[in-house]
Amino acid sequence: IYINIIVPIYQLGNPQLRIFRPNWFLTLVRPGKEQPPDTAQFRVPMEMTKYDVKNYLEKIYNVPVGVVRTRIQFGSNKKRNHLNQKVKKPDYKVAYVQLAQGQTFTFPDVFPEKDQTPAEGSMEEMQNKFMEDEKQRQKLDPRRGGVTEWFGL
Amino acid sequence: MAASSSVGRVLTLCRRFQNVCSLSSSIGTQRCAFSLTKYQGNLNSRSTSSQLLSCSTIFMPLGQHQSVHTTISRRGLEEFFDSPENWGESTVKSGAPWTAKQLRAKSNEDLHKLWYVLLKERNMLLTLEQEAKRQRVPMPSPERLRKVERSMTRLDTAVWERETALRLLQTGQEKGRPGAWRRNMFGQVYWYRFKEYAIPWHLNKRYKRKKFFTPSFVEPHVRLRIEKYLREKARKMNRQNRRLLKLKEKLPKSLSA
Repeated sequence: IYINIIVPIYQLGNPQLRIFRPNWFLTLVRPGKEQPPDTAQFRVPMEMTKYDVKNYLEKIYNVPVGVVRTRIQFGSNKKRNHLNQKVKKPDYKVAYVQLAQGQTFTFPDVFPEKDQTPAEGSMEEMQNKFMEDEKQRQKLDPRRGGVTEWFGL
Repeated sequence: MAASSSVGRVLTLCRRFQNVCSLSSSIGTQRCAFSLTKYQGNLNSRSTSSQLLSCSTIFMPLGQHQSVHTTISRRGLEEFFDSPENWGESTVKSGAPWTAKQLRAKSNEDLHKLWYVLLKERNMLLTLEQEAKRQRVPMPSPERLRKVERSMTRLDTAVWERETALRLLQTGQEKGRPGAWRRNMFGQVYWYRFKEYAIPWHLNKRYKRKKFFTPSFVEPHVRLRIEKYLREKARKMNRQNRRLLKLKEKLPKSLSA
């Protein structure tokens, strides 16, 4: 229902347009190029403007926003699939948001290495043990010193 | 900080919150403040409490304000990420999505707040998805994103139903957006939905180029199209009947009854 909504036109003197329950979703991305420490990079739907992004972050996320700069990234149409048809990667808008009040933002490491030892979960432990046993059975006689069975005797 | 963030997550989305503190007058409804609720149950760790469990909570009627004051979460850009305990996990537990039936039972204020809760969750999942693609690592439990999307569409339908009901009662209009049945230049009749313009239609050059009538040279093809449609329908019916007859011949008589 929210997809084919047409926004009422604005004419001079109209009241400020307000949107309840916005249908726009931002994606925070890790910057490809080095950015200044107070800049956060977002992928933003094409219909949003700089003021929209600013208001969105200020009202919903309570983030003090200074300046917002946007650009549209063209998604390539060059690649071809197995039928030799061109495959289009979708275009998207990128917003560079500079935070006010001297705040800094670094993109965190969301996938750190964690120890995968399943102590209590017996299912995973049993599975791992079983896999290791299987691998041990597949290995050759250690006394042959790495030589395969193909060589005689 | 991490503890408070996990508490914040749990409070907003967990099944056990019992009281909803209504928005205080200082916070206008314009501003999205999904207010944290006072969590009176035992605080579970994040892994056990499910995020998106449908809440069949008891909401206090607004007349009796409980003097529950909660702070608006001030985590800023941290809200684009999960709580740090879940970073690096391969699966994250989450509950069932909201059903339309449950959402119809909620008040408008609650739906408004829930929309923003779901919006923030969806933003977080989208950032996680993009980061997983960037790091070439599988995203932990991608079904959460689909659950949130479905919940949001169902919320939309619930609100739309309420709006149509209200509109019908107040004005008698069935549709929110005005329209008309019009015939296009192929002879097909369809529901044309009006669009808002700043100028009247007789000054609109592009609108006048659009023909809402069938030219005379197209009219014979309309009849041909109808004939084709009827022919296809007749053939389909015949095919079905012949198939039934054949089956009745083959199969024993007792089964055909």
